Amino acid sequence: MDHALEVRNLRKRYPGFTLKDISFALPRGYIMGLIGPNGAGKTTIIKLILNIVRRDAGEVKICGLDGLDEESAAKARVGFVLDEPPFYGYLKAPGMASIIAPFYDKWDGDLFRRLCREFELPMRKRVNAFSRGMAMKLALATALSHGAELILLDEPTSGLDPVFRRELLERLSGLIHDGRTSVLFSTHITSDLERLADYLTCVRDGELVFSTTRDEVLENWATVRGGEELLTGENRDLFTAVNRGPYGFAALACDKEEARRRLAGRGAVIDRLRLDDLVYFLGQKDKGKS
Amino acid sequence: MLKLLRMEYVVNRRQMLITAAIFSGYFLFMAYKIDSPRVFLVTMSLMIGLAMPFGIIGRESKFKTASLVCSLPVRRTTVVLAKYAVGWIAMGFGLALALLLAAWLPFSKVSVAEILTLKSLSVCLLVVSILFGLIFPFTLRFGLVGIIILLVSSQLLGVVALILAQLLGRGPDPLRTVITGIIKGLRAMLYHEATPDFLMLLAAAILAINAASFFLSKALYACRDL
Repeated sequence: MDHALEVRNLRKRYPGFTLKDISFALPRGYIMGLIGPNGAGKTTIIKLILNIVRRDAGEVKICGLDGLDEESAAKARVGFVLDEPPFYGYLKAPGMASIIAPFYDKWDGDLFRRLCREFELPMRKRVNAFSRGMAMKLALATALSHGAELILLDEPTSGLDPVFRRELLERLSGLIHDGRTSVLFSTHITSDLERLADYLTCVRDGELVFSTTRDEVLENWATVRGGEELLTGENRDLFTAVNRGPYGFAALACDKEEARRRLAGRGAVIDRLRLDDLVYFLGQKDKGKS
Repeated sequence: MLKLLRMEYVVNRRQMLITAAIFSGYFLFMAYKIDSPRVFLVTMSLMIGLAMPFGIIGRESKFKTASLVCSLPVRRTTVVLAKYAVGWIAMGFGLALALLLAAWLPFSKVSVAEILTLKSLSVCLLVVSILFGLIFPFTLRFGLVGIIILLVSSQLLGVVALILAQLLGRGPDPLRTVITGIIKGLRAMLYHEATPDFLMLLAAAILAINAASFFLSKALYACRDL
């Protein structure tokens, strides 16, 4: 399969946090959601792909090009939106475009202007007077204006109003129709991904939980609720994360059928997984686990 | 490389104009006050080497845009090279501006002809190289904080030197020794005969300092996480 992005055994150590051997691949023409609780390592992964954080080990290939050895050629194929868009605040939107455009052979000035108009960006206002949402829109317009084959988005919908968020998701969905463009999208707003993502990669505490298709996650994973008596030793291996409460427990199971087989008829409620629940449970794991 | 130079120009042009305006005032004052071309040369070099590239390189730190530059399709080595070149271009403009003002102003007491010799210019470039070569890697790696680290370290060294001087009593004063040594070194260079060997030595020192500074900057920037 032709991959837009291949990440192999990516490792980065910080004081107090280590990203451990992260591996996943994003096939060309698809959208992948990168999810996980705060501090899981999502932004670090995106920065490692862009090489703005130096890796301790591992390999990144962008459209088959090595992220280090063929850095310039690989990055020319990438459009990015970082968590905090790094703009020269005293420039205006056209000024920012004028310094970025020369680095991309496929820069489309007309498309950039059109996107700015569609995003209702003020062209005569300095970037430092932009709200966070407007800065995000400018970063998006920049990322989408040079025919990037891989678009990396780090929390792009944070700070955006629901109307524009919906429009953005539709735009991203439209982007991949050419079969050439792929999107890696990290977000806390997991409802966006349920609507949009073809693949999901989940990280927690710097470790990969899974990287697979969205359908497989939604089919196989489940939330389970029930009384404490169900949390016997033999059942504990069913659950990836358990949250105990005064009226029983709620847990995350990675094998819905097995959970059903073992717990059906014993008072357990097995629900279809929502990605929100997944992130919630993974974030809660260490707090509630017995 | 040219794209990066253009980018540096676009993002720094206003800063360059402001710096040029401030420096013009300073150079006007110096040209009016100082009549010795050697003293003018040294003070001009110190000012250019210390402050000229400071604002330009530090702007990236101020606006936290290093992650933007490093996300673009360029290698980090090229980024460092472009910044080094921009620093030197700015210093070249500063030097030209100072000499132009000193030559053009009617009240200037400085004889520019005495400065415009190969030896004087080489000494000027050496002084500028030492200062720039020292400041550049710190600014590039740690941003404006790097400059503060450098200044605080220098002050602490000065304090240590003063304490040592107190403790040693009648012994040699290390701080005075260092300052006297620098002044003597500068004077020796400025009064040295401009023989080809001496000029070659100056050129080699300038090249070595810049090469060392550039490679150190490159290594520091390569391991910088943004």
